Amino acid sequence: MKEFRFRIILVFAIIFLAVYMLYPTYVDYQNSKKIEKVLEQRKQEILKSNPNITKSQLDNLLKVVEDSLLSANPDFQKNREKRIKLGLDLQGGMRVVLEVNTAQLLAKLAKNPDSAFKDALKSAEQEATLSDESVVDILGRKLKEKGIRLSRYFGSIRQEDDEIISDLKEDVEDAVTRALEIIRNRIDQYGVSEPTIQRQGSRRIIVELPGIAREEEAKQLLQGTALLEFRLVKEPDFAFDVMRKIDEALAKSLSKISTDTSTASDTLSAVSDTTAVSDTLAPEQLTEEEFAKQHPFFTVARISEQQRTADAYVREDDINKIQMYLNRPEVQKVIPNNVEFVFSAKPVGQDADGKNVYLMYLVNKEPELTGGVITDAQANIDPNTSSPIVNMTMNTEGATDWARITGANIGKRIAIMLDGRVFSAPVVQTKITGGRSQISGMANLDEAKLLEIVLKAGALPAPVDIIEERSVGPSLGEDSVNSGFQSVLIGYFLVGFFMIIYYQRAGTISSFTLIITILFILGVLAGFKATLTLPGIAGIILTIGMAVDANVLIFERIREELATGKTVKASIDSGFAKAYSAIIDSNITTFFTGIILYQFGTGPIQGFALTLMIGIAASLFSALVITRLIMDVMVARGVKVTIG
Amino acid sequence: MRIFKDFHYNFLDKRKIAYVLSATLFVVGIVSALVRGFEFGIDFKGGTEIVLQFEKPVDISVVRADVENIGLGNVEVKTFGGESGVMIRTEQQIIPPDIFPKVVESIEKEIDKKFPGVPRKIVDSTANSITYEFPSHDTTDAIIDALFEAGFQSGRVSEEQDNRQMIVRVGIADWIKINLSNKIADNHFTVLKEDRVGPKIGKELKQDAVLAIFFALVVILIYLGFRFKFIFAVGAVSALFHDVLITLGLFSLLYGVIPGLNLEIDLTVVAAFLTLVGYSINDTVIVFDRIRENMKIHKTRPIREVIDTSISQTMSRTVLTGGTTLLTVLALLIFGGEVLRAFAFTLFFGIIIGTYSSIFVASALVYEYSQKAGKKLEF
Repeated sequence: MKEFRFRIILVFAIIFLAVYMLYPTYVDYQNSKKIEKVLEQRKQEILKSNPNITKSQLDNLLKVVEDSLLSANPDFQKNREKRIKLGLDLQGGMRVVLEVNTAQLLAKLAKNPDSAFKDALKSAEQEATLSDESVVDILGRKLKEKGIRLSRYFGSIRQEDDEIISDLKEDVEDAVTRALEIIRNRIDQYGVSEPTIQRQGSRRIIVELPGIAREEEAKQLLQGTALLEFRLVKEPDFAFDVMRKIDEALAKSLSKISTDTSTASDTLSAVSDTTAVSDTLAPEQLTEEEFAKQHPFFTVARISEQQRTADAYVREDDINKIQMYLNRPEVQKVIPNNVEFVFSAKPVGQDADGKNVYLMYLVNKEPELTGGVITDAQANIDPNTSSPIVNMTMNTEGATDWARITGANIGKRIAIMLDGRVFSAPVVQTKITGGRSQISGMANLDEAKLLEIVLKAGALPAPVDIIEERSVGPSLGEDSVNSGFQSVLIGYFLVGFFMIIYYQRAGTISSFTLIITILFILGVLAGFKATLTLPGIAGIILTIGMAVDANVLIFERIREELATGKTVKASIDSGFAKAYSAIIDSNITTFFTGIILYQFGTGPIQGFALTLMIGIAASLFSALVITRLIMDVMVARGVKVTIG
Repeated sequence: MRIFKDFHYNFLDKRKIAYVLSATLFVVGIVSALVRGFEFGIDFKGGTEIVLQFEKPVDISVVRADVENIGLGNVEVKTFGGESGVMIRTEQQIIPPDIFPKVVESIEKEIDKKFPGVPRKIVDSTANSITYEFPSHDTTDAIIDALFEAGFQSGRVSEEQDNRQMIVRVGIADWIKINLSNKIADNHFTVLKEDRVGPKIGKELKQDAVLAIFFALVVILIYLGFRFKFIFAVGAVSALFHDVLITLGLFSLLYGVIPGLNLEIDLTVVAAFLTLVGYSINDTVIVFDRIRENMKIHKTRPIREVIDTSISQTMSRTVLTGGTTLLTVLALLIFGGEVLRAFAFTLFFGIIIGTYSSIFVASALVYEYSQKAGKKLEF
């Protein structure tokens, strides 16, 4: 047995690894069942107590309950992150391809567009739908035909056409970056789990939103124009006072309701008990639980005494809960109507558990200024301090207002908000006249670049068109998963049964290694965080059929060798050796087509290519290593290897 | 158990019959492709497609009649899966201008349902959207909600506090859904799937698909040329062309003929074709591998004998692997659900044709070449 020791260890280690990778998927499946049960129960309760609730309100409530359940038990979340990711076609959701509308962008960029320009743009736009040439190039050509120089509409008088064209192309790319940031910002707020937002080529953005139930709303989200606002941040004393009142109002009403178990809000307060409590505000004698009961608001919106501002730190999971709190009538009563709470767009740090933490600001509802007045923004490095800065320019109209606003609010903070989220809240240092402002205090140049994009988003919208959209309802996805796995099982039994009858013991071995092959495929998918799609399941089914190919080749060879009168051991050795070249050559060519398929395909097709490739690798390992090992061990132990 | 014990057959004797058979399938396929053409799915054609699942079985002709007179022109209506599933498809991307007034009318009706006679102003209207202005912020919000519940994609124009404008986007799919839910009020439906593909994307995907298959063939040609002799690579790739073209011909011949089998060429089918290329080459390589081995062992035997012996020796493997793969694909075809049916179909016939071609096309071509070249192939 010694000679096999290394191989046995290797095989068991790999099997163990695959099982280890798959374990979270199993646990998550069990957890989901539990969560679903609780949600269904809650849904019935809510419907009983409030039959008139609209569907979107109900969805929101249930989402909060689900979030609380997930955050209450960190294990749920951990397993969820490690499970096999299902593609949109299996779990439902939508995929949207957006393209920046170049024609609209050019129309916005052009100075004094006359009818000649508009005509040229219109025909350029039409031509672009049929050709691969970009609108910018076509427009340049059209205007040239008419003898009009581009500098009449874009850039400066002295610039050559070519130069302007390359500048305009850069503007188009900028617009994609801007649209990307706007969309990312909104999707973050919308609370979609595991969204994918990626740039494709120079003008396109692909957005994938799994599990979206309200796709109309999502589409709206992607296409609306972005709103950039400058709003005054309330002073710390004022803000803290408001929060204290909210806390008191909540403590009072929550303790009242906690005896009544039928309302949805009770779920929230019950769940909030389990969340961690900030230690800074809690007087020492209070236990965490008591603190949570007495200060429900400060439990989720944490403020430390040391800080000079009254910006509260909020964990990502708690944002929904705070919004629910803030919408309660008794809380609404204590918040002055001219202010509201808003959140930072990006996390400002992480807490001890590695959860993202956001800042919550209290700002005026009425914006001081909206983004239309901004003409330009540039991220730079300040040559004097070598720290990142953003230079912002406003038009004359905006500059006048800006001078008044900054003059009246020196020492206060102004929040720069895009679509309701705060990207930066700089302190006004001095009265700014002339419309040129400098914003500093960014941690790095990337942050400054982000602010530049945000500021430009207000000035120059990035018009996007949806050029492709696909959505799959959750029920079709579920059906697909079920029928997919049904076919996997049936396919496996058919093939396994056949192999056992035809090759007897050797066939039994290969049926067994087939299970390990499937385990490997799934384990690799989970381990590399790859996505399983419906064509991916088809890939697994196909692998089952083709995986036995290597076994068949080997067994047929062994039979031939046995027929020449060799011993079993010698036949196995030369059978494997002779089948080797055929197995490798044929599988490498199939692997190549898998790579090409992966390169050319999108979404589901890539999933198929991936499982096909992993399947090839896994089945080769199973046939050449595991089957071989089992046969060798059997021969060494004197167990008869029958091969039909 | 053993199917092909000491099996030997002179395959090359029958190659002429195979040529006739292949040529016939080829011609039939090409004629069908010219006369009937192909049915391309939405991926390549562009357009809008929705799949609805009704609560109760629904009469497809009723749905068809309902959808036909909403002004979208040529609309395709098919069953999807069982009796209660319906697929509706049109090549339109946006609402045609001549029925836009109808859309506006139904929006107005919804507004009047919420606030009868509320003053309104249309401030903008484009090919797929219309923007209204109302007297107050709250009215606007209430109307937006009402329209949203009715199935329109309504939204605020801006998030500013004093926003009084509402934008309603109307896509083809929305228009179909709104009309159907009004007309078939007693049988609710849920949307299973909704796809819209722009014409440009369709064109690009088509190009990509052709390129992908072409690349796959080139890569295989290079790899096999490297591992075997160049003529073997040519034989193998010709066999692949043969398989792909005949299966394509079958698609053209059979679409719309077999009820319940939706033979449209979409992205998944292209994936199936590439898999078929991968599978079929697998088969061919196994035979070639044997020929290579036998040629090394029996250097003096005539090539015809070597090829026949090699095919006979590998016959058992060819049939077994083909058989097990067919079994699983059959499971997929029957139990895999509507979405994968065309995929499974492609593979099912592709595997049969691929197995046949690795015996009668790839090896036969190598033989024909060796006869013509008049010199002996050697490894």
